[in-house]
Amino acid sequence: MERDQIIKRIDELGNSIMKEIDNMESPRMSIPQRNLNNIKFNKAKNLLELGDKKSSRSFMNIAHSKKFMQTVLIAGKCKELVERNKTASIRELYYQLKHAITDSKENTFDDQSESDPLIVDLETMLRTLREELHLKADDKGTLIGNIVIEDSGDFIDCSRLGRSGLSIPSIVEHYKFHDVKADYVLVIETGAMFDRLVEEKYQQKNNCIMVSTKGQAARGCRRLVHRLNHDLGLPVIMFSDGDPWGYYIYSVMKAGSMALAHESRRLGTPQMKFVGMTMDDIDTYDLQKVTEKLKDIDKKRISELLRYPWFQKKEWVKQLNLMSEKGLRIEQQALASKSLEFVAEEYLPQKIEKSQLLP
Amino acid sequence: MDGKGKERHADDLFKEFKETSITEFFRKNKTHLGYSGSIRSLTTVIHEMVTNSLDACEEAGIQPDISVAIKKLGNDHYLIRSEDNGPGIPIRHISGVFGKMLAGTKFHRNIQLRGQQGIGVAGVTLFSQITTGKPIKIKTSTGKGKVNEIALMIDIAKNKADILSNNEYSQYWRGTEIECELKGVNFTLREQGPFEYLRRTAIANPHAKITFTDPEGRRTIFERSTEKVPKPPVEIKPHPKGTEVDDLVNMAKITDGRKVSSFLTSTFSRMSNAKVKEIQKIINEGDAPFDLNKSPKKLTWAECEQIINAIKEIKFLAPPTEGLQPIGEEQIRKAILNILDPEFEAILTRNPTAHSGGVPFQVEVAIAYGGQAGRNIGDGTKVEIMRFANRTPLLFDSGACAITKSVNSVEWKRYGIKDFDNSPTTILINVVSTYIPYTSAGKQSIADDEDIMKEIRMALMEVGRKYQIFYSRQKRDMEKEVRKQILMRYSTELAAGLANITGKKEEEILKKLNTLVLEKLKLEDELDTLEEDEEEEIEDDSGIKDPEEGMVSGAENGT
Repeated sequence: MERDQIIKRIDELGNSIMKEIDNMESPRMSIPQRNLNNIKFNKAKNLLELGDKKSSRSFMNIAHSKKFMQTVLIAGKCKELVERNKTASIRELYYQLKHAITDSKENTFDDQSESDPLIVDLETMLRTLREELHLKADDKGTLIGNIVIEDSGDFIDCSRLGRSGLSIPSIVEHYKFHDVKADYVLVIETGAMFDRLVEEKYQQKNNCIMVSTKGQAARGCRRLVHRLNHDLGLPVIMFSDGDPWGYYIYSVMKAGSMALAHESRRLGTPQMKFVGMTMDDIDTYDLQKVTEKLKDIDKKRISELLRYPWFQKKEWVKQLNLMSEKGLRIEQQALASKSLEFVAEEYLPQKIEKSQLLP
Repeated sequence: MDGKGKERHADDLFKEFKETSITEFFRKNKTHLGYSGSIRSLTTVIHEMVTNSLDACEEAGIQPDISVAIKKLGNDHYLIRSEDNGPGIPIRHISGVFGKMLAGTKFHRNIQLRGQQGIGVAGVTLFSQITTGKPIKIKTSTGKGKVNEIALMIDIAKNKADILSNNEYSQYWRGTEIECELKGVNFTLREQGPFEYLRRTAIANPHAKITFTDPEGRRTIFERSTEKVPKPPVEIKPHPKGTEVDDLVNMAKITDGRKVSSFLTSTFSRMSNAKVKEIQKIINEGDAPFDLNKSPKKLTWAECEQIINAIKEIKFLAPPTEGLQPIGEEQIRKAILNILDPEFEAILTRNPTAHSGGVPFQVEVAIAYGGQAGRNIGDGTKVEIMRFANRTPLLFDSGACAITKSVNSVEWKRYGIKDFDNSPTTILINVVSTYIPYTSAGKQSIADDEDIMKEIRMALMEVGRKYQIFYSRQKRDMEKEVRKQILMRYSTELAAGLANITGKKEEEILKKLNTLVLEKLKLEDELDTLEEDEEEEIEDDSGIKDPEEGMVSGAENGT
C-alpha cells in the first residue's frame, strides 16, 4: 500500500472521531474482533480468516477510555513515522509515547504490553500491515542454507555464515532472493536442535534451507518462510517438539494465528508439512524412556487444540488423542538418546525420504 | 419492672436519712446519688449545677447562657465555677435549694424533669463540704437591683443550711453564680467527663449557650442554635396502668380525698366513676371484698394490691401526652448542624406512646454522619451513641442501657454503614417520659422495657433508611467524580493525539472534549435522579438482628 493511502486511512480515523466530538456524541472506534468467535477457518485455502464481527471502543466508557486515548496516540505517532519515512520498533514506539499525563502521576503507557495489542488493533482497524505503519517487532529467528539474499544492496550468502546463520529481521519485504539451490526448507522449533543440525552440516548434506523459529514464530520469520514457499516454490517441512505447544507453532506457521488472522494470507504457508515429533515416533524409534509426562496445563491445551477447526484433520486428531491416551510428550532433543548424529543422519533423512509427513 | 423496685429503695432511703446522720447517709448511698469515683463525682457536680440553671431558665422563659469553668488546684483538688443568666434565686429560697438534702424531691412528681437524676444542688454543697471542709459560695440576684453573695454550709445534724456570710449590695444584674472546691475528683476528656457532658447537654438543649473552660484554660463555646425556649413541662396526673402498689399506698396516705373512690378519680388520669365501679365489681368478686367508699387513709397494702390487680384487668384510655416535651426534630437538626456539622443527618421524633401499660413516653432519634460526628479515638473514629433521658445526657452504664442494646440490635450493614463501629457516626437518642424506668438508682441507663426498645428500633430503622438513600447517592456521586476526573485527564492526551492526526488546534479539541464529557455526565445525573425517586418508594422493615447479639457488657459506673 502506498504511504499516501496509509496516511489517508489514519486521517479518516481521526476525522471520524472529530466529527463525533463536534456532534456531541461519544467518540467511538470499531475494531474487528480477534477471538475464536470471529475467526473462520478457510478449509480450501487452509488459512485462518478474520470474520466481520467488531467490538466498539468508546471514550466515554470508563473501561475503554484509556485504551481509546492510547490507540489515538499510537495512530498519531504512526502517521508521523510514515510521513517522516522512519521505521520504529514497537518498543521504540512505546518509549516515544510514554510520558506522564498533564497534572497527574499517571503515565500514558506503563508497559509495552499495553501498546503492543493496540498496535494490532490499529492494523486491523485500518486494514493495513504493521510494516506499512512503519513499525517493526523485535528480530527473532535464524536462517542458514544455500541461498543468497539481497538486503538493501548487500548480498548475503546464507551458506557462508559459519554456524551463526542469518538473524531474521521483523520486516523482510525488501529481501530479494538469488542463487536458490536448496531443495526444501526445514523449519525447526528450538534453537538447540537448529544448532545440532548445523553442527552435523545437515543443510549441506541434504541441500536445504534451515530456519529456526526459536519458540513461537515471529512475524518476520513467518513472512520469510511464506515468501520462500510462495515466491520460490520451495516445499516447507516443520520439525517441532511432540507436544501441543509444538503442534500449535506448526499450525500458526501453516494456517496463521488468531491474533493476526487478518494477515494469514501473507504469513501462513498452507502447503507446509510436518515431519515430527509425532506420537508414532515414540514406538517406531523406541523412545518410551525419554518421554515426559503431560502436565495439567498440557492436557488443557490439547483439549483446546481439539476444538480448533483447523485441527480437525484426522491425522492431527489422532496425534492429539494419542498424546492424551499416552499421557506423554516428547522433545526433539530426546532423539539424542540414540546418538547425537541420529537426528541428522537417520531420523530426518529417512522420514523425509519416505515422505512420512503429516499434512 | 425492675426500675420501680429500685425506686422504692430510694424512697426508703429518704425515710432512713431522717433518722441517721446526713453525712452517713451520703457516704452510704453516694453511688446512687452519682458521687462514686473521681470522674463521675465531678460530672455529677457539673450536672447538678447546669440542670439547675437550665430548669430555672426554662420555667422563667429565659434563653440560658451558662458558663462552667474548672480550675485545677492540686492533685485531685479542683475549683468549679458555674454562672447563668437565669431568674436568680430569691434569698428566702437559698437555704432550701443549697442547704437541704432532698428538699424538692422530684421522686413522685409525675412530671418530665431533667432533675429526675441526682439529688439536687444541695448534694454539691455536701460533697464539697465533706471533701474540703469549705463552704459553697453563691452570688445571685433576681435583677431587681440587689445582689447577694452568700457562703453556705449544711448543718449536718439538722439537715439545714448554715449561712456563714451574706453580703448584700446594690447592682443591676440577674443570674446565679456558684463556686465550690472539690477534692477526690478528676478531670478527664473521656466520654464520661464534664466536656462530653456539656457537649451533649448543648445538643439536647439547642436553646442554651454553654461556655466551658477546662483546667488547661481551653475555652469551648457551644453556641445556641435556636432562640426558642421550650415550654416548661406540665405536671400531669399519673395513669392507672403505670402505678404500682407502693405508689398507691403512698398516694393514699397523703390524699385529701375522703373516700377511696373520689381519691382514685381525682388522683389518676382517665379514671372515671364508671371505671371505679368496674374496680369495685372486680373486688367484690374477689376473696376479700371491701367497699371503695372507705377512707383512703385506712387502705391496707393488701387492699391496694387488689385495686392494682383490678386496674390491670380493665381497659383505660391512653394517657394524655401533653406532659411530654421532646426536643423536636427542627431543634435537634439545628443543634446537630451547629455542633457536629455532619455530611448527613436524619432526625425523627416518634409519636408519644405508653410503656408499662400506661406511662407516656416518646422517642427521638438522630443519626449524623461525617464532619465532627463520631468519636475520635487516636487516629480512627468510633461510632458515638449519645443517650439522653428527658434531655439529660446519660454517660455511664452504657452497656446495660436499652438505648445501647437497641442501637446494637440494628443491622447497620443493611443500611450501607459497613464498619458501623468504626464509622464517623453519631447516634442521638432521647427518651422522654414522666417516668423513665432506670436499671438502677444511679439513673444512668434505661431498663430494657419492650415498648421502649421497640420504639427506639422503629425510629432507628426509619432514620437508617434515610441514611441508606444518602449513602448510595454519595457513593454514586463519588464514582461519578472519579469518572469525570479520569475522562478529563485522558481528554488532554486524546486532544493531543487527535491534533497530531487532524492538524487541528489541540486547545480547541480539548475544549470541545471537556464540554462533551460534562454534558454526558450531566445527562446521566438526570437519569439517576429519576431512578432515585423510584428507590425512595421502597420500604423495608426487617433491619433487626437477634437482640441478644452484639450486646456490650458495660463496666458499672464507668469509673
